Amino acid sequence: MDMAARFQDQLVFHMTGKRAGDGLAPVDVTQLRPAALAPFRDLARLRYDYPLVLPEAAADGDYVHSLSAVVGSLLADIAPRGIEGERLRKHVLRLERELRTMLARGEAGTLSEMWATAAARLGSGDVTVAKVLAQAGDSLKVDGDVVDCDAQLPARFVRQAWRAAQARKGGEFRQLVDGLIRKLSDIQRAAFAHSAAGQQPQALAASIGSAHADVFDFAVMSKLVARNAPRDELPAARRARIEGALSVLRAQPFYEDPAAVGGSMRYQFEFDDCAAAVDAYRARLPRLTAMVRAIAIAELESSGAYVAADHDPFFERYDENALTADDLALFPDYLVTIPADRNDASENAGLIDMLSAGLPVKVLVQQTDLLEEASIGTGHFAFGVRSARLATTAMGLGGMFVLQATSADLYALRERVQRGLACRGPALFSIFAGSPAAAGDLPPYLTAAAARESRAFPAFAYDATAGENWAARFSLAGNRNAGDDWAVDPLEYADDDLQRVTEPVAFTYADFVLCDRRYASHFAVVPRERWNDGMLPVAQWVRLPERPATERVPYLWAVDADDRLHRVIVDARLMQATRRCLLLWHRLQEHAGIHDSHAERLLARERAAWETEKQQARVALAQAAGVAATEAPASVAAPAPAAEAEAAGEKPPSDEAWIETARCPSCNECQTINDRMFAYNDNKQAYIKDIDAGTYRQLVEAAEVCQVAIIHPGKPRNPNEPGLAELLERAKPFL
Amino acid sequence: MAIPVTQCIIKLHEEHHNLEDYQGGVPRWCSGCGDNAILAAVQRLCRDEDLAPERTVFVSGIGCSSRFPHYMKTYGFHGIHGRAFPIAEGVKMARPDLSVFVNTGDGDCCSIGAAHWIHAIRYNMNMTVILHDNHVYGLTKKQASPTSPMGMKSNTTPRGAVLEALNPLTVTLGVQNVSFVAQGVDWIPDLLYDIIAKAYRHRGFSFVRIIQRCPEFLPKMFEPWLHDPGKTLLLTHANGLTPSAETSRIYKNQREHDPLDIHKAREIASGEDPIPVGILYQNPEVPCYEEVRGAGQPRTAEHIRAGLEAEFDKVTIWPEEGRTQPRAA
Repeated sequence: MDMAARFQDQLVFHMTGKRAGDGLAPVDVTQLRPAALAPFRDLARLRYDYPLVLPEAAADGDYVHSLSAVVGSLLADIAPRGIEGERLRKHVLRLERELRTMLARGEAGTLSEMWATAAARLGSGDVTVAKVLAQAGDSLKVDGDVVDCDAQLPARFVRQAWRAAQARKGGEFRQLVDGLIRKLSDIQRAAFAHSAAGQQPQALAASIGSAHADVFDFAVMSKLVARNAPRDELPAARRARIEGALSVLRAQPFYEDPAAVGGSMRYQFEFDDCAAAVDAYRARLPRLTAMVRAIAIAELESSGAYVAADHDPFFERYDENALTADDLALFPDYLVTIPADRNDASENAGLIDMLSAGLPVKVLVQQTDLLEEASIGTGHFAFGVRSARLATTAMGLGGMFVLQATSADLYALRERVQRGLACRGPALFSIFAGSPAAAGDLPPYLTAAAARESRAFPAFAYDATAGENWAARFSLAGNRNAGDDWAVDPLEYADDDLQRVTEPVAFTYADFVLCDRRYASHFAVVPRERWNDGMLPVAQWVRLPERPATERVPYLWAVDADDRLHRVIVDARLMQATRRCLLLWHRLQEHAGIHDSHAERLLARERAAWETEKQQARVALAQAAGVAATEAPASVAAPAPAAEAEAAGEKPPSDEAWIETARCPSCNECQTINDRMFAYNDNKQAYIKDIDAGTYRQLVEAAEVCQVAIIHPGKPRNPNEPGLAELLERAKPFL
Repeated sequence: MAIPVTQCIIKLHEEHHNLEDYQGGVPRWCSGCGDNAILAAVQRLCRDEDLAPERTVFVSGIGCSSRFPHYMKTYGFHGIHGRAFPIAEGVKMARPDLSVFVNTGDGDCCSIGAAHWIHAIRYNMNMTVILHDNHVYGLTKKQASPTSPMGMKSNTTPRGAVLEALNPLTVTLGVQNVSFVAQGVDWIPDLLYDIIAKAYRHRGFSFVRIIQRCPEFLPKMFEPWLHDPGKTLLLTHANGLTPSAETSRIYKNQREHDPLDIHKAREIASGEDPIPVGILYQNPEVPCYEEVRGAGQPRTAEHIRAGLEAEFDKVTIWPEEGRTQPRAA
């Protein structure tokens, strides 16, 4: 068969998705994977962000640790530098690898438990190793559940961060409420001490205590204190107001009260569906409103700022309509973790409603399938609201925090997660954690990372409170080569002559689909002898215009289980989806200001205008040069603009008396001479209030005594004032 | 800090004050006294910051400048000689919600009150301290003070002061926990106001030395500086003073100085001619004593009682135990 006929097979497959003849082989996705994933055969041997340790009582900024970082920090503490520490380092790193293997096998537990198990296994034949590893385990500074990057990770991670954030908020809230309870109680106590009841002998005896009760005559003491007691009783209305606020503050059910005997009644804020969260929010709203009202009353009362005439009408009408996002931010946020199997259309509709209402909810939506086919059954890939586009849809609602990421990015993006949970108002976390439907031998971490790398599920964050414009609010941080179409890595392989070849290879949407066994039919393996120049890498093919593209066949690099390199061609339907994926990525790039089409158009227009202007100037200069050569030079140069302005800036001397008020140090000297002529302005600095209220002599005397010499007497207004000649002479230094 | 609703309500009904609301009486200082300029700047600050008079306290010691609280229509404490700092610290400790100012003179602060001054800097309690430095004891009719320059003749130094003058700026900058040091002069009112405003807004012990004229006893002391703007060095910085165009036109001798640089601050503070004017040092990270000491411990009656009981328990012989032990034996 000639070359043209062989290429014809490939073209047919590309255009129809059907293999004809025996020239093309089907793809076995359990054997083949994108070439970029070749180095990641055994994740247990790699030291990377995962697994994670989730400490039980975590501070807000310290709610998650990477196992590698924990071990690294441990080694820095216990293993001395140099050869002495090398043995220990090797043992501990071997244990770290064992922990990864255990997790991959499905074992679970806290770090200390798993460490002990792993240490026992590794040290089964060597007592010294077991002892060393156990001692190293005792030196761990962090403990908590160890979790791998699997399908459960997003929920556990976000819940852990949410609990840490709520613990911080709870601490602040308790500090606020406890402080107010204390202050209101002090007011009550002081009122009681001033009251007739508080001055009774029994009350005084109770305040002293029983140990020395016999020493005092409380009846006499009662008469004494009653005689000198202040007469300002707490008004009944104020007393009732304080008691009302106190009872609401003491019975708050929003945060745990550690001091409450037998534990305090407390609302739950974790839900797994939107409707339940909304119902709970509605049911608790009256109590929340009462709490905000009580806090406000307590703050005003404790600072002595409550004015019944002003504030009573306000608080009588205070209801949930007056609540703001800032008020709601005092209280726990509702955490809704929507399980992957319940992420359906009706739940999404409720979710969008809830988010657009601005409720204080933090929602985690776990995505499992980015490649589902369109429900209309045409075999097209769906880029619908249900999965990949949920976050962009929510972003369109505005006024919230949105984070889209894969589970592989969660640790790297932990600060963003924290920021989202700390924000006022709703937040959506759309997280992709791999697809069980696609499960081949690729670990969930790699599937998730592949989704991000291929732009199928790029990481982005939108924070409505971060600023006034998209530049401040939107970020594509977390994506490699965010300015390019695809993430590109060098692919190194040995050619037929066993020579090293390095080639840049883009990781595309089609590469991501190659990891999914459901879509193997979109690919065909081309035997090496049939490789030809008509084949083009996918990343280059998508850049071709439509017409030339029909004459080429796109291919991917893939490797099999023996790390042999293959070319895999891709059918047109998947390439259509790849183009669409790129289009959506470009849209995100524009949000982030990368290749902004408006800016680029404006730049092109300005550049053209500038070029035209420059060209005209060049022509004018050339013409002027021709004229100048024939004319005599101008004899008088025009004054420089700066010199002109300087000359204009000098004011002629004024005939009116005036004061440089801004420089007045308020020393009273001028007012001592004549306080009707000189007065102070709002800043207590002198000016001439009434020039006719005094004489020229007083003006001159004021100028003389003014220590900062800012009074300028001007010219006399009354030509008949006695001694003018002498006064004018004295006034000269101040004119 | 109140919750948003309370802030809105307070804003809705808050009273705004004007300068007269802070003027407590006609000052009895001599005409031309620099204290008047300081009083005007402080009253402006109170108005501009809308300080509630009932939540503002001026504490002073003894001297001309220590009459300051009398002329402010706020709370005040005209204390005893050199003891303004401990009184102010007590006020702040008991009522951290109050705005506390200390007005002290060069004799009051740098002589009899020097020990309190040093420790007040170290405590770094949140208050604004204004050192009215006219280089002389004025109230007692012209005796040399610690800041009187060498050679200055006075009733106690008729042949001229023989000691080098104490520099309050370098002293303050040498004490641990110093957090804010500035210098102003009474004859540049807009900068004086800016410096005091910066000092007030600083959280911690803000020490402002103001060089001021005493027209009665040292009428010629600052004339060279008054009449030659070049003898004043303005310290400018984005985190310090940014003088107006008008001020910059007059005072052209300027130097950019980062208030976080304590070494440069010490170097600048050592210079007396030209007089440096501006923020020499500001570090908002220095902890305040009232916050460190009271961290996490509410001073409720129950806490105080529990603490006292615990102390008493250590030395108490329980009568019940005394009775029961013999019986048990």
